[in-house]
Amino acid sequence: MNFIDKIKLFLNSFDENEHYRINRMRPPGAVDEKLFMELCVRCSKCIEICPYRVIKRSNLTKDFEVGTPYIYAEEKGCRLCMNCTTVCPTGALDKDVTYFRDTRIGVAKVDDTICLNHLLYNQEEAGIADGTMAVCNQCFNSCPLKFDAIYLEDMILPRITDKCTGCGICTESCPTKPKKAINILPNGMANRDEAGYIPYLKRKGLR
Amino acid sequence: MQKIRKISQIFFLLLIVVVPILNLMEIYFINGSFISLNVGNLAISDPLAVFQAIFLSHKIVPLMLISILIPILIVIFFGRVWCSYACPYFLMTELIDKLKKKLNIKNIRNKNINTNRQNIIRYGLLLIGFIIIGILGVPLLYLISPPSVISTQMIMVIKHLRFTSEVIILLLILITEIFFIYKFACRYLCPTGTLLSLFQFKSFGLKVKHIGSCSECKACIKECPLMLDPKIDGDSKQCNNCGICVDSCKDNLKQKTLFFKMK
Repeated sequence: MNFIDKIKLFLNSFDENEHYRINRMRPPGAVDEKLFMELCVRCSKCIEICPYRVIKRSNLTKDFEVGTPYIYAEEKGCRLCMNCTTVCPTGALDKDVTYFRDTRIGVAKVDDTICLNHLLYNQEEAGIADGTMAVCNQCFNSCPLKFDAIYLEDMILPRITDKCTGCGICTESCPTKPKKAINILPNGMANRDEAGYIPYLKRKGLR
Repeated sequence: MQKIRKISQIFFLLLIVVVPILNLMEIYFINGSFISLNVGNLAISDPLAVFQAIFLSHKIVPLMLISILIPILIVIFFGRVWCSYACPYFLMTELIDKLKKKLNIKNIRNKNINTNRQNIIRYGLLLIGFIIIGILGVPLLYLISPPSVISTQMIMVIKHLRFTSEVIILLLILITEIFFIYKFACRYLCPTGTLLSLFQFKSFGLKVKHIGSCSECKACIKECPLMLDPKIDGDSKQCNNCGICVDSCKDNLKQKTLFFKMK
């Protein structure tokens, strides 16, 4: 391992700097990842106008993502105020997305093996409910699109529909530790193959 | 003249501090950094950022072109006044110069600088930069443009109370500036200034002009922050119309010898 690789490893070792992972998405209205990386000029306007300090600025990383805006749902989910789409100067955040139900920055997914409601349900099904599990419902209660994007099957099991905007408020409020039971699968940012970094090198088969 | 310039520089420095604070107080009338600024419904963008976005995405949004109209018109009519009247980095280098003078550290100023060679270096660097971002497919030239880095970092400090890693590049540029090459960023590196100077035409706009007898005191050459000879290079692409040479000219007291003129 040479010196530059060591620096890269150090800079990427911070938790929030890890790319291509769940719960890390672009601000609302972001165009697809390849076009976003070409259009985003890192002007910080969206970061500045965000009234909840949800949008953060990315640090030095492997794929020249430095300076781009992102939302980290485990710390704070997007409140869908839709201020950021109105200010973007180059159209990296689509201006036409002004209604919060139109945003699709990701899709939530429930992990059945950790979710407290699922565990309670499983205990009750098996007839061994011993009082160690309780009803949680945090994701359902915090969702801004209750009954549309998320509903409770049998009054207890949280299910996600295709109306989910991927805002990540459910992830923020999920109480399980250390892993969250409900996660956002972002559109674009998490998938390395979808993200079109370094198109020239990719075309040549060098990456 | 210099007083107006100092006031304007301090105004723009305050702007990048006050705008994030106003946004924190939920006043969104002014929003943005020196890469792109919104004043009400009017958007003003750095031509460098917009050209990069167009170059990479092959997609032209009309709003982008409208937003670079004002900066380009200002450059065509008044020269590169952005650098001398607004850029916070230029103010910073001037303060460094003053500090150096007080501490009696001499600047390394090479007397025989060829403006043509300077131009080749800075346009070459801009071209190399555009080739690199064309290969990478990511608009990264803002990294070596000090005013963009300063203003975006200011937003980060005020909004999130921390720097991001671009600040390392800014420090490297400052170290080069202080210890090795005099006015390194403004003369060679800064892509914003280099791109703006493409719109400085020789036959049109506000230029420094020299007429009549000169007593050859060379005060203007000594004072010029970009190491130009105002008598010859008054209409060159390096001159940013700061007006230090005009104010330092002693012949101006007797009769107009070195002055600004609209061509």
